[in-house]
Amino acid sequence: MAKRTRRVGYGLPVVLAIGVHIVALLLTMLRLPESEPIPSSSSVVQATLVSDVTATDKAQYAKEAKARTAKRQAEEAAQQAAEQQAQEAAREQAEQQAAQAQAEQQAAADAARAEAQRRQQAAEQAAAERAEAARQQKAAEAEQQRQVQVQKQKAEAAKKQAEAEKQRQAEEAKKQAEAEKKREAEEARKKAEAEKKRKAEEAKKKAAAEAKKKAEAAAKAASQNALNDSIANEQERIANAQQSNQASNSFINLVKSAVEAQWHLPPNADGALVTQVRVRLGPSGELLAATVTRSSGNPSFDRSATQAVEAAAPFRELQQLDAGLQRRFRDFNLKFTPGDIQ
Amino acid sequence: MNDSMSIPHLIMNASLVVQVVMLLLLAASVASWVVIFQRSFALARAKKAQREFDERFWSGIDLNELYQDVPENHDAQGAEHVFRAGFREFNRLMPKTRSSEAVLDGVQRSQRVALSREEDRLNANLTLLATVASASPYIGLFGTVWGIMGSFQSLSMAQQATLSTVAPWIAEALVATAMGLFAAIPAVIFYNRLSSIASRLLGEYEDFAEEFHSILHRNLQGRGNSQSA
Repeated sequence: MAKRTRRVGYGLPVVLAIGVHIVALLLTMLRLPESEPIPSSSSVVQATLVSDVTATDKAQYAKEAKARTAKRQAEEAAQQAAEQQAQEAAREQAEQQAAQAQAEQQAAADAARAEAQRRQQAAEQAAAERAEAARQQKAAEAEQQRQVQVQKQKAEAAKKQAEAEKQRQAEEAKKQAEAEKKREAEEARKKAEAEKKRKAEEAKKKAAAEAKKKAEAAAKAASQNALNDSIANEQERIANAQQSNQASNSFINLVKSAVEAQWHLPPNADGALVTQVRVRLGPSGELLAATVTRSSGNPSFDRSATQAVEAAAPFRELQQLDAGLQRRFRDFNLKFTPGDIQ
Repeated sequence: MNDSMSIPHLIMNASLVVQVVMLLLLAASVASWVVIFQRSFALARAKKAQREFDERFWSGIDLNELYQDVPENHDAQGAEHVFRAGFREFNRLMPKTRSSEAVLDGVQRSQRVALSREEDRLNANLTLLATVASASPYIGLFGTVWGIMGSFQSLSMAQQATLSTVAPWIAEALVATAMGLFAAIPAVIFYNRLSSIASRLLGEYEDFAEEFHSILHRNLQGRGNSQSA
Protein backbone atom coordinates (compact mmCIF):
# COMPACT_ATOMS: atom_id res chain seq x y z
CA MET A 1 0.00 0.00 0.00
CA ALA A 2 2.71 2.40 0.96
CA LYS A 3 4.60 1.52 -2.20
CA ARG A 4 1.70 2.51 -4.38
CA THR A 5 1.33 5.79 -2.53
CA ARG A 6 4.92 6.54 -3.29
CA ARG A 7 4.32 6.14 -6.96
CA VAL A 8 1.87 8.96 -7.55
CA GLY A 9 3.83 10.35 -10.44
CA TYR A 10 3.15 13.09 -12.97
CA GLY A 11 2.54 10.99 -16.08
CA LEU A 12 -1.15 10.39 -15.66
CA PRO A 13 -1.92 13.88 -14.34
CA VAL A 14 -0.18 15.46 -17.33
CA VAL A 15 -2.22 13.35 -19.71
CA LEU A 16 -5.40 14.19 -17.86
CA ALA A 17 -4.61 17.91 -17.75
CA ILE A 18 -3.93 18.03 -21.47
CA GLY A 19 -7.11 16.06 -22.00
CA VAL A 20 -9.08 18.61 -20.02
CA HIS A 21 -7.72 21.41 -22.18
CA ILE A 22 -8.41 19.60 -25.40
CA VAL A 23 -11.96 18.97 -24.28
CA ALA A 24 -12.38 22.63 -23.39
CA LEU A 25 -11.00 23.68 -26.76
CA LEU A 26 -13.26 21.22 -28.54
CA LEU A 27 -16.24 22.61 -26.70
CA THR A 28 -15.48 26.10 -27.95
CA MET A 29 -14.83 24.75 -31.45
CA LEU A 30 -17.94 22.61 -31.48
CA ARG A 31 -20.13 25.52 -30.63
CA LEU A 32 -19.05 27.45 -33.66
CA PRO A 33 -20.45 25.22 -36.43
CA GLU A 34 -23.75 25.21 -34.58
CA SER A 35 -23.99 28.94 -34.32
CA GLU A 36 -22.32 29.68 -37.62
CA PRO A 37 -24.81 28.62 -40.27
CA ILE A 38 -27.64 30.64 -38.87
CA PRO A 39 -26.23 34.10 -39.39
CA SER A 40 -24.13 33.31 -42.44
CA SER A 41 -26.90 31.76 -44.48
CA SER A 42 -28.01 34.73 -46.45
CA SER A 43 -31.12 32.94 -47.60
CA VAL A 44 -32.43 33.15 -44.09
CA VAL A 45 -31.78 36.82 -43.96
CA GLN A 46 -34.06 38.75 -46.21
CA ALA A 47 -33.13 42.33 -46.65
CA THR A 48 -35.36 43.59 -49.39
CA LEU A 49 -35.67 46.95 -50.97
CA VAL A 50 -39.07 48.24 -50.11
CA SER A 51 -39.11 51.44 -52.02
CA ASP A 52 -36.35 53.50 -53.41
CA VAL A 53 -38.53 56.56 -53.27
CA THR A 54 -39.16 58.05 -49.90
CA ALA A 55 -41.73 60.57 -48.92
CA THR A 56 -39.39 63.53 -48.79
CA ASP A 57 -37.99 63.01 -52.23
CA LYS A 58 -41.16 62.03 -53.92
CA ALA A 59 -41.74 65.50 -55.23
CA GLN A 60 -38.26 65.62 -56.65
CA TYR A 61 -38.62 62.27 -58.29
CA ALA A 62 -42.02 63.24 -59.61
CA LYS A 63 -40.47 66.35 -61.09
CA GLU A 64 -37.74 64.29 -62.60
CA ALA A 65 -40.18 61.84 -63.99
CA LYS A 66 -42.20 64.72 -65.37
CA ALA A 67 -39.11 66.22 -66.93
CA ARG A 68 -38.26 62.84 -68.39
CA THR A 69 -41.70 62.37 -69.79
CA ALA A 70 -41.70 65.96 -71.05
CA LYS A 71 -38.45 65.32 -72.81
CA ARG A 72 -39.82 62.18 -74.29
CA GLN A 73 -42.94 63.98 -75.29
CA ALA A 74 -40.90 66.74 -76.84
CA GLU A 75 -39.01 64.20 -78.82
CA GLU A 76 -42.20 62.57 -79.84
CA ALA A 77 -43.66 65.96 -80.64
CA ALA A 78 -40.66 66.78 -82.77
CA GLN A 79 -41.08 63.54 -84.59
CA GLN A 80 -44.75 64.13 -84.93
CA ALA A 81 -44.11 67.65 -86.10
CA ALA A 82 -41.79 66.32 -88.74
CA GLU A 83 -44.38 63.83 -89.76
CA GLN A 84 -47.01 66.49 -89.73
CA GLN A 85 -44.84 68.70 -91.80
CA ALA A 86 -44.45 65.96 -94.30
CA GLN A 87 -48.14 65.32 -94.22
CA GLU A 88 -48.82 69.03 -94.49
CA ALA A 89 -46.52 69.25 -97.42
CA ALA A 90 -48.36 66.42 -99.05
CA ARG A 91 -51.65 68.02 -98.17
CA GLU A 92 -50.41 71.32 -99.46
CA GLN A 93 -49.44 69.69 -102.63
CA ALA A 94 -52.80 68.04 -102.87
CA GLU A 95 -54.43 71.31 -102.05
CA GLN A 96 -52.35 73.05 -104.57
CA GLN A 97 -53.28 70.48 -107.08
CA ALA A 98 -56.90 70.83 -106.10
CA ALA A 99 -56.59 74.59 -106.25
CA GLN A 100 -55.02 74.28 -109.58
CA ALA A 101 -57.77 72.02 -110.73
CA GLN A 102 -60.28 74.45 -109.33
CA ALA A 103 -58.50 77.31 -110.94
CA GLU A 104 -58.55 75.41 -114.16
CA GLN A 105 -62.21 74.69 -113.78
CA GLN A 106 -62.85 78.25 -112.83
CA ALA A 107 -60.82 79.46 -115.68
CA ALA A 108 -62.68 77.14 -117.99
CA ALA A 109 -65.97 78.32 -116.58
CA ASP A 110 -64.84 81.89 -116.84
CA ALA A 111 -63.83 81.33 -120.35
CA ALA A 112 -67.13 79.69 -121.11
CA ARG A 113 -68.97 82.53 -119.45
CA ALA A 114 -66.94 85.10 -121.30
CA GLU A 115 -67.59 83.30 -124.53
CA ALA A 116 -71.28 83.16 -123.81
CA GLN A 117 -71.25 86.84 -123.00
CA ARG A 118 -69.32 87.55 -126.05
CA ARG A 119 -71.71 85.44 -128.08
CA GLN A 120 -74.61 87.21 -126.54
CA GLN A 121 -73.01 90.51 -127.30
CA ALA A 122 -72.35 89.31 -130.73
CA ALA A 123 -75.92 88.11 -131.02
CA GLU A 124 -77.21 91.42 -129.77
CA GLN A 125 -74.94 93.22 -132.10
CA ALA A 126 -76.09 90.97 -134.81
CA ALA A 127 -79.72 91.59 -133.91
CA ALA A 128 -79.11 95.33 -133.86
CA GLU A 129 -77.34 95.12 -137.16
CA ARG A 130 -80.06 92.99 -138.50
CA ALA A 131 -82.63 95.50 -137.32
CA GLU A 132 -80.60 98.21 -138.91
CA ALA A 133 -80.28 96.08 -141.95
CA ALA A 134 -84.03 95.63 -141.94
CA ARG A 135 -84.41 99.32 -141.60
CA GLN A 136 -81.88 99.81 -144.28
CA GLN A 137 -83.69 97.18 -146.37
CA LYS A 138 -86.82 99.19 -145.92
CA ALA A 139 -84.92 102.15 -147.06
CA ALA A 140 -83.40 100.04 -149.79
CA GLU A 141 -86.75 98.94 -150.83
CA ALA A 142 -87.17 102.48 -151.39
CA GLU A 143 -83.94 102.64 -153.03
CA GLN A 144 -82.85 99.38 -154.63
CA GLN A 145 -79.39 100.67 -155.11
CA ARG A 146 -79.14 101.29 -151.55
CA GLN A 147 -80.69 97.92 -151.06
CA VAL A 148 -77.99 96.33 -153.00
CA GLN A 149 -75.62 98.41 -151.05
CA VAL A 150 -77.38 97.30 -147.89
CA GLN A 151 -77.20 93.75 -149.14
CA LYS A 152 -73.62 94.31 -149.88
CA GLN A 153 -73.22 95.90 -146.52
CA LYS A 154 -75.12 93.08 -145.03
CA ALA A 155 -72.93 90.56 -146.69
CA GLU A 156 -69.99 92.56 -145.63
CA ALA A 157 -71.33 92.76 -142.12
CA ALA A 158 -71.99 89.06 -142.14
CA LYS A 159 -68.57 88.51 -143.44
CA LYS A 160 -67.19 90.88 -140.87
CA GLN A 161 -69.17 89.20 -138.22
CA ALA A 162 -67.99 85.87 -139.33
CA GLU A 163 -64.51 87.19 -139.50
CA ALA A 164 -64.81 88.80 -136.10
CA GLU A 165 -66.27 85.71 -134.73
CA LYS A 166 -63.58 83.64 -136.24
CA GLN A 167 -61.00 86.01 -134.96
CA ARG A 168 -62.58 86.04 -131.52
CA GLN A 169 -62.72 82.31 -131.45
CA ALA A 170 -59.14 82.11 -132.52
CA GLU A 171 -58.21 84.65 -129.94
CA GLU A 172 -60.16 82.85 -127.34
CA ALA A 173 -58.58 79.61 -128.23
CA LYS A 174 -55.23 81.27 -128.13
CA LYS A 175 -56.01 82.83 -124.80
CA GLN A 176 -57.27 79.62 -123.44
CA ALA A 177 -54.25 77.82 -124.66
CA GLU A 178 -52.04 80.48 -123.23
CA ALA A 179 -53.81 80.39 -119.90
CA GLU A 180 -53.62 76.68 -119.83
CA LYS A 181 -49.98 76.73 -120.72
CA LYS A 182 -49.34 79.28 -118.05
CA ARG A 183 -51.28 77.33 -115.56
CA GLU A 184 -49.46 74.17 -116.45
CA ALA A 185 -46.15 75.93 -116.19
CA GLU A 186 -47.14 77.34 -112.87
CA GLU A 187 -48.31 74.00 -111.71
CA ALA A 188 -45.14 72.38 -112.79
CA ARG A 189 -43.18 75.07 -111.08
CA LYS A 190 -45.21 74.70 -107.94
CA LYS A 191 -44.92 70.99 -108.06
CA ALA A 192 -41.23 71.23 -108.56
CA GLU A 193 -40.99 73.69 -105.73
CA ALA A 194 -43.04 71.49 -103.43
CA GLU A 195 -40.99 68.51 -104.36
CA LYS A 196 -37.83 70.44 -103.76
CA LYS A 197 -39.12 71.58 -100.42
CA ARG A 198 -40.17 68.14 -99.47
CA LYS A 199 -36.87 66.70 -100.56
CA ALA A 200 -35.04 69.33 -98.59
CA GLU A 201 -37.16 68.60 -95.59
CA GLU A 202 -36.65 64.94 -95.96
CA ALA A 203 -32.95 65.44 -96.26
CA LYS A 204 -33.01 67.66 -93.21
CA LYS A 205 -35.04 65.13 -91.31
CA LYS A 206 -32.80 62.33 -92.35
CA ALA A 207 -29.78 64.32 -91.34
CA ALA A 208 -31.37 65.13 -88.01
CA ALA A 209 -32.31 61.50 -87.45
CA GLU A 210 -28.84 60.44 -88.37
CA ALA A 211 -27.31 63.05 -86.12
CA LYS A 212 -29.55 61.89 -83.30
CA LYS A 213 -28.67 58.29 -83.92
CA LYS A 214 -25.04 59.19 -84.04
CA ALA A 215 -25.32 61.15 -80.80
CA GLU A 216 -27.05 58.23 -79.15
CA ALA A 217 -24.38 55.86 -80.38
CA ALA A 218 -21.73 58.23 -79.08
CA ALA A 219 -23.47 58.43 -75.72
CA LYS A 220 -23.71 54.69 -75.59
CA ALA A 221 -20.08 54.31 -76.47
CA ALA A 222 -19.16 56.78 -73.77
CA SER A 223 -20.77 54.60 -71.13
CA GLN A 224 -18.40 51.79 -71.73
CA ASN A 225 -18.41 49.69 -68.63
CA ALA A 226 -20.95 47.03 -68.07
CA LEU A 227 -22.58 48.71 -65.15
CA ASN A 228 -23.28 51.86 -67.10
CA ASP A 229 -24.57 49.84 -69.99
CA SER A 230 -26.88 47.98 -67.75
CA ILE A 231 -27.89 51.23 -66.14
CA ALA A 232 -28.55 52.75 -69.53
CA ASN A 233 -30.77 49.78 -70.21
CA GLU A 234 -32.23 50.33 -66.83
CA GLN A 235 -32.94 53.93 -67.64
CA GLU A 236 -34.90 52.83 -70.61
CA ARG A 237 -36.76 50.48 -68.42
CA ILE A 238 -37.38 53.26 -65.96
CA ALA A 239 -38.78 55.20 -68.80
CA ASN A 240 -41.17 52.36 -69.20
CA ALA A 241 -41.97 52.96 -65.56
CA GLN A 242 -43.17 49.44 -65.09
CA GLN A 243 -40.00 47.68 -64.09
CA SER A 244 -38.33 50.22 -61.88
CA ASN A 245 -37.62 47.54 -59.33
CA GLN A 246 -35.69 45.53 -61.84
CA ALA A 247 -33.87 48.62 -62.86
CA SER A 248 -32.52 49.21 -59.40
CA ASN A 249 -31.44 45.62 -59.03
CA SER A 250 -27.77 45.77 -59.80
CA PHE A 251 -26.89 48.43 -57.27
CA ILE A 252 -29.45 47.36 -54.74
CA ASN A 253 -28.26 43.79 -54.98
CA LEU A 254 -24.77 44.95 -54.21
CA VAL A 255 -26.04 46.89 -51.22
CA LYS A 256 -28.19 43.99 -50.12
CA SER A 257 -25.46 41.41 -50.25
CA ALA A 258 -23.05 43.72 -48.46
CA VAL A 259 -25.58 44.43 -45.74
CA GLU A 260 -26.53 40.77 -45.39
CA ALA A 261 -22.91 39.81 -45.00
CA GLN A 262 -22.56 42.22 -42.14
CA TRP A 263 -25.83 41.43 -40.48
CA HIS A 264 -25.55 39.56 -37.21
CA LEU A 265 -28.92 38.52 -36.02
CA PRO A 266 -29.49 38.98 -32.33
CA PRO A 267 -30.11 35.67 -30.62
CA ASN A 268 -33.66 36.49 -29.61
CA ALA A 269 -34.83 37.48 -33.10
CA ASP A 270 -37.75 35.45 -34.38
CA GLY A 271 -39.22 35.24 -37.84
CA ALA A 272 -42.03 37.69 -37.30
CA LEU A 273 -39.83 40.75 -36.93
CA VAL A 274 -39.75 43.34 -39.67
CA THR A 275 -37.65 46.45 -39.54
CA GLN A 276 -37.47 49.14 -42.14
CA VAL A 277 -34.30 51.16 -42.26
CA ARG A 278 -33.93 54.33 -44.25
CA VAL A 279 -30.45 54.65 -45.72
CA ARG A 280 -29.08 57.94 -46.90
CA LEU A 281 -25.82 58.05 -48.75
CA GLY A 282 -23.35 60.78 -49.58
CA PRO A 283 -22.27 61.47 -53.14
CA SER A 284 -19.38 59.02 -52.98
CA GLY A 285 -21.44 56.31 -51.35
CA GLU A 286 -20.53 57.02 -47.76
CA LEU A 287 -23.24 56.53 -45.22
CA LEU A 288 -24.84 59.70 -43.95
CA ALA A 289 -27.54 58.15 -41.86
CA ALA A 290 -29.25 54.84 -41.26
CA THR A 291 -32.42 55.36 -39.31
CA VAL A 292 -35.18 52.99 -38.39
CA THR A 293 -38.34 54.18 -40.06
CA ARG A 294 -40.49 51.30 -38.98
CA SER A 295 -39.48 49.53 -35.83
CA SER A 296 -39.99 45.83 -35.31
CA GLY A 297 -40.63 46.42 -31.63
CA ASN A 298 -37.46 44.57 -30.76
CA PRO A 299 -34.79 47.21 -30.11
CA SER A 300 -31.87 44.82 -30.40
CA PHE A 301 -33.16 43.62 -33.75
CA ASP A 302 -33.54 47.20 -34.95
CA ARG A 303 -30.04 47.96 -33.78
CA SER A 304 -28.65 44.92 -35.54
CA ALA A 305 -30.22 46.14 -38.78
CA THR A 306 -28.77 49.64 -38.54
CA GLN A 307 -25.44 48.20 -37.48
CA ALA A 308 -25.43 45.94 -40.50
CA VAL A 309 -25.93 48.94 -42.76
CA GLU A 310 -23.23 50.86 -40.93
CA ALA A 311 -20.84 47.96 -41.22
CA ALA A 312 -21.53 47.48 -44.91
CA ALA A 313 -20.99 51.17 -45.73
CA PRO A 314 -19.51 52.82 -47.70
CA PHE A 315 -21.09 51.76 -50.97
CA ARG A 316 -18.46 52.98 -53.40
CA GLU A 317 -20.33 51.48 -56.33
CA LEU A 318 -22.63 54.46 -56.20
CA GLN A 319 -19.98 56.54 -57.90
CA GLN A 320 -20.14 54.36 -60.97
CA LEU A 321 -23.78 55.10 -61.52
CA ASP A 322 -25.23 57.81 -63.69
CA ALA A 323 -25.95 61.12 -62.08
CA GLY A 324 -29.68 60.61 -62.20
CA LEU A 325 -29.50 57.13 -60.75
CA GLN A 326 -27.05 58.33 -58.14
CA ARG A 327 -29.57 60.79 -56.89
CA ARG A 328 -32.15 58.08 -56.99
CA PHE A 329 -30.08 55.75 -54.81
CA ARG A 330 -28.89 58.36 -52.40
CA ASP A 331 -31.94 57.67 -50.32
CA PHE A 332 -33.66 54.34 -50.07
CA ASN A 333 -35.34 52.03 -47.61
CA LEU A 334 -34.28 48.55 -46.65
CA LYS A 335 -36.57 46.03 -45.06
CA PHE A 336 -35.05 43.52 -42.68
CA THR A 337 -36.80 40.27 -41.96
CA PRO A 338 -35.19 37.22 -40.43
CA GLY A 339 -36.04 33.97 -42.07
CA ASP A 340 -38.44 31.36 -40.83
CA ILE A 341 -35.73 29.28 -39.21
CA GLN A 342 -35.22 31.41 -36.15
CA MET B 1 -20.94 35.42 -34.65
CA ASN B 2 -19.24 34.73 -37.94
CA ASP B 3 -15.98 32.97 -38.64
CA SER B 4 -13.78 35.99 -38.00
CA MET B 5 -15.15 36.12 -34.47
CA SER B 6 -14.39 32.53 -33.53
CA ILE B 7 -12.03 32.12 -30.60
CA PRO B 8 -9.19 30.34 -32.48
CA HIS B 9 -9.36 32.98 -35.18
CA LEU B 10 -9.18 35.72 -32.60
CA ILE B 11 -6.19 34.12 -30.93
CA MET B 12 -4.39 33.81 -34.26
CA ASN B 13 -5.03 37.47 -35.08
CA ALA B 14 -3.95 38.85 -31.72
CA SER B 15 -0.81 40.92 -31.32
CA LEU B 16 2.41 39.27 -30.22
CA VAL B 17 2.28 40.43 -26.61
CA VAL B 18 -1.27 39.22 -26.24
CA GLN B 19 -0.31 35.92 -27.84
CA VAL B 20 2.59 35.51 -25.42
CA VAL B 21 0.26 36.27 -22.53
CA MET B 22 -2.19 33.70 -23.82
CA LEU B 23 0.56 31.13 -24.17
CA LEU B 24 1.68 31.83 -20.61
CA LEU B 25 -1.86 31.43 -19.38
CA LEU B 26 -2.28 28.20 -21.30
CA ALA B 27 0.91 26.86 -19.70
CA ALA B 28 -0.26 27.97 -16.27
CA SER B 29 -3.61 26.33 -16.85
CA VAL B 30 -2.02 23.05 -17.96
CA ALA B 31 0.40 23.11 -15.02
CA SER B 32 -2.38 23.84 -12.56
CA TRP B 33 -4.43 20.99 -13.92
CA VAL B 34 -1.43 18.66 -13.71
CA VAL B 35 -1.03 19.66 -10.07
CA ILE B 36 -4.75 19.29 -9.46
CA PHE B 37 -4.81 15.74 -10.76
CA GLN B 38 -1.54 14.74 -9.17
CA ARG B 39 -2.49 16.14 -5.80
CA SER B 40 -5.96 14.69 -5.95
CA PHE B 41 -4.61 11.22 -6.56
CA ALA B 42 -1.87 11.62 -3.97
CA LEU B 43 -4.21 12.93 -1.30
CA ALA B 44 -6.81 10.28 -2.05
CA ARG B 45 -4.17 7.63 -1.61
CA ALA B 46 -2.80 9.27 1.52
CA LYS B 47 -6.31 9.30 2.97
CA LYS B 48 -6.79 5.65 2.13
CA ALA B 49 -3.40 4.76 3.58
CA GLN B 50 -4.17 6.72 6.71
CA ARG B 51 -7.45 4.86 7.16
CA GLU B 52 -5.79 1.50 6.67
CA PHE B 53 -2.95 2.33 9.03
CA ASP B 54 -5.41 3.59 11.61
CA GLU B 55 -7.25 0.30 11.42
CA ARG B 56 -4.08 -1.69 11.75
CA PHE B 57 -2.72 0.41 14.58
CA TRP B 58 -5.87 0.23 16.67
CA SER B 59 -6.52 -3.41 15.89
CA GLY B 60 -4.42 -4.30 18.96
CA ILE B 61 -1.36 -5.42 17.03
CA ASP B 62 1.97 -5.44 18.82
CA LEU B 63 3.90 -2.28 18.04
CA ASN B 64 7.17 -4.16 17.49
CA GLU B 65 5.41 -6.41 15.05
CA LEU B 66 3.92 -3.42 13.32
CA TYR B 67 7.28 -1.75 13.15
CA GLN B 68 9.08 -4.78 11.75
CA ASP B 69 6.28 -5.65 9.39
CA VAL B 70 7.62 -3.44 6.67
CA PRO B 71 11.16 -3.48 5.30
CA GLU B 72 13.62 -1.04 6.76
CA ASN B 73 14.50 0.80 3.58
CA HIS B 74 10.88 1.51 2.83
CA ASP B 75 10.06 5.21 2.91
CA ALA B 76 6.88 5.32 4.92
CA GLN B 77 4.33 8.10 4.56
CA GLY B 78 1.77 9.81 6.69
CA ALA B 79 0.91 8.49 10.10
CA GLU B 80 3.03 5.42 9.46
CA HIS B 81 6.03 7.65 8.90
CA VAL B 82 5.33 9.45 12.17
CA PHE B 83 4.92 6.15 13.96
CA ARG B 84 8.08 4.65 12.55
CA ALA B 85 10.16 7.77 13.24
CA GLY B 86 8.91 7.89 16.81
CA PHE B 87 9.26 4.18 17.43
CA ARG B 88 12.74 4.05 15.91
CA GLU B 89 13.85 6.91 18.12
CA PHE B 90 12.21 5.21 21.10
CA ASN B 91 13.98 1.96 20.38
CA ARG B 92 17.31 3.69 19.93
CA LEU B 93 17.03 5.81 23.06
CA MET B 94 15.69 3.15 25.38
CA PRO B 95 18.96 1.28 25.89
CA LYS B 96 20.95 4.53 26.25
CA THR B 97 19.07 6.41 28.88
CA ARG B 98 16.95 5.58 31.83
CA SER B 99 15.29 8.94 31.91
CA SER B 100 11.81 8.62 30.49
CA GLU B 101 11.71 12.36 29.96
CA ALA B 102 14.72 12.26 27.68
CA VAL B 103 13.25 9.33 25.74
CA LEU B 104 9.91 11.06 25.31
CA ASP B 105 11.65 14.29 24.33
CA GLY B 106 13.62 12.49 21.67
CA VAL B 107 10.53 10.69 20.40
CA GLN B 108 8.60 13.92 20.28
CA ARG B 109 11.36 15.66 18.40
CA SER B 110 11.67 12.95 15.78
CA GLN B 111 7.90 12.86 15.42
CA ARG B 112 7.87 16.61 14.94
CA VAL B 113 10.44 16.26 12.17
CA ALA B 114 8.40 13.52 10.53
CA LEU B 115 5.23 15.59 10.79
CA SER B 116 6.88 18.59 9.22
CA ARG B 117 8.14 16.37 6.39
CA GLU B 118 4.64 15.01 5.92
CA GLU B 119 3.24 18.51 5.89
CA ASP B 120 5.73 19.47 3.22
CA ARG B 121 4.79 16.45 1.23
CA LEU B 122 1.06 17.05 1.48
CA ASN B 123 1.32 20.70 0.54
CA ALA B 124 3.84 20.14 -2.20
CA ASN B 125 2.87 22.00 -5.43
CA LEU B 126 -0.19 23.48 -3.82
CA THR B 127 1.67 26.80 -3.84
CA LEU B 128 1.71 26.54 -7.63
CA LEU B 129 -2.06 26.29 -7.61
CA ALA B 130 -2.24 29.28 -5.29
CA THR B 131 0.05 31.27 -7.57
CA VAL B 132 -1.92 30.41 -10.68
CA ALA B 133 -5.17 31.18 -8.91
CA SER B 134 -4.07 34.60 -7.78
CA ALA B 135 -1.82 35.68 -10.66
CA SER B 136 -3.47 34.44 -13.83
CA PRO B 137 -6.41 36.88 -13.74
CA TYR B 138 -3.91 39.70 -13.56
CA ILE B 139 -1.86 38.25 -16.37
CA GLY B 140 -5.00 37.92 -18.46
CA LEU B 141 -5.99 41.44 -17.57
CA PHE B 142 -2.58 42.63 -18.67
CA GLY B 143 -3.12 40.97 -22.04
CA THR B 144 -6.52 42.57 -22.36
CA VAL B 145 -5.28 46.02 -21.44
CA TRP B 146 -2.43 45.65 -23.89
CA GLY B 147 -4.78 44.52 -26.64
CA ILE B 148 -7.22 47.37 -26.02
CA MET B 149 -4.30 49.80 -25.97
CA GLY B 150 -3.28 48.53 -29.39
CA SER B 151 -6.84 48.77 -30.62
CA PHE B 152 -7.11 52.37 -29.56
CA GLN B 153 -3.77 53.19 -31.09
CA SER B 154 -4.92 51.78 -34.41
CA LEU B 155 -8.27 53.44 -33.95
CA SER B 156 -6.63 56.84 -33.84
CA MET B 157 -5.75 56.34 -37.52
CA ALA B 158 -9.33 55.62 -38.47
CA GLN B 159 -11.60 58.53 -39.20
CA GLN B 160 -14.85 56.91 -38.36
CA ALA B 161 -14.99 54.83 -35.22
CA THR B 162 -17.96 52.53 -35.14
CA LEU B 163 -18.57 49.65 -32.83
CA SER B 164 -17.76 47.23 -35.60
CA THR B 165 -14.26 48.64 -35.99
CA VAL B 166 -13.54 48.40 -32.27
CA ALA B 167 -15.34 45.14 -31.61
CA PRO B 168 -12.81 42.67 -33.11
CA TRP B 169 -9.96 44.24 -31.19
CA ILE B 170 -11.80 44.20 -27.92
CA ALA B 171 -13.04 40.66 -28.46
CA GLU B 172 -9.49 39.65 -29.23
CA ALA B 173 -8.19 41.36 -26.13
CA LEU B 174 -10.89 39.91 -23.93
CA VAL B 175 -9.88 36.40 -24.91
CA ALA B 176 -6.80 36.92 -22.73
CA THR B 177 -8.93 37.72 -19.69
CA ALA B 178 -11.14 34.76 -20.43
CA MET B 179 -8.13 32.50 -20.54
CA GLY B 180 -6.82 33.98 -17.28
CA LEU B 181 -10.11 33.23 -15.61
CA PHE B 182 -10.21 29.82 -17.22
CA ALA B 183 -6.88 29.04 -15.56
CA ALA B 184 -7.64 30.77 -12.27
CA ILE B 185 -11.09 29.43 -11.41
CA PRO B 186 -10.22 25.71 -11.22
CA ALA B 187 -6.97 26.60 -9.50
CA VAL B 188 -8.80 28.51 -6.77
CA ILE B 189 -11.43 25.82 -6.28
CA PHE B 190 -8.97 22.95 -6.18
CA TYR B 191 -6.47 24.85 -4.08
CA ASN B 192 -9.10 25.33 -1.40
CA ARG B 193 -10.30 21.77 -1.63
CA LEU B 194 -6.85 20.16 -1.71
CA SER B 195 -5.40 22.33 1.02
CA SER B 196 -8.38 21.55 3.24
CA ILE B 197 -7.88 17.83 2.64
CA ALA B 198 -4.16 18.20 3.34
CA SER B 199 -4.70 20.14 6.53
CA ARG B 200 -7.27 17.58 7.72
CA LEU B 201 -4.80 14.77 7.03
CA LEU B 202 -2.11 16.71 8.82
CA GLY B 203 -4.48 17.16 11.74
CA GLU B 204 -5.03 13.42 11.79
CA TYR B 205 -1.27 12.82 11.74
CA GLU B 206 -0.84 15.21 14.63
CA ASP B 207 -3.63 13.50 16.55
CA PHE B 208 -2.01 10.17 15.90
CA ALA B 209 1.37 11.53 16.97
CA GLU B 210 -0.14 12.72 20.23
CA GLU B 211 -1.91 9.42 20.79
CA PHE B 212 1.23 7.45 20.00
CA HIS B 213 3.18 9.70 22.28
CA SER B 214 0.70 9.09 25.05
CA ILE B 215 0.93 5.32 24.45
CA LEU B 216 4.71 5.50 24.67
CA HIS B 217 4.45 7.68 27.73
CA ARG B 218 2.11 5.18 29.36
CA ASN B 219 4.42 2.39 28.40
CA LEU B 220 7.44 4.25 29.70
CA GLN B 221 5.73 5.11 32.92
CA GLY B 222 4.94 1.43 33.46
CA ARG B 223 8.48 0.44 32.54
CA GLY B 224 10.00 3.17 34.65
CA ASN B 225 7.82 2.07 37.51
CA SER B 226 8.77 -1.56 37.02
CA GLN B 227 12.43 -0.66 36.70
CA SER B 228 12.39 1.59 39.71
CA ALA B 229 10.35 -0.85 41.60
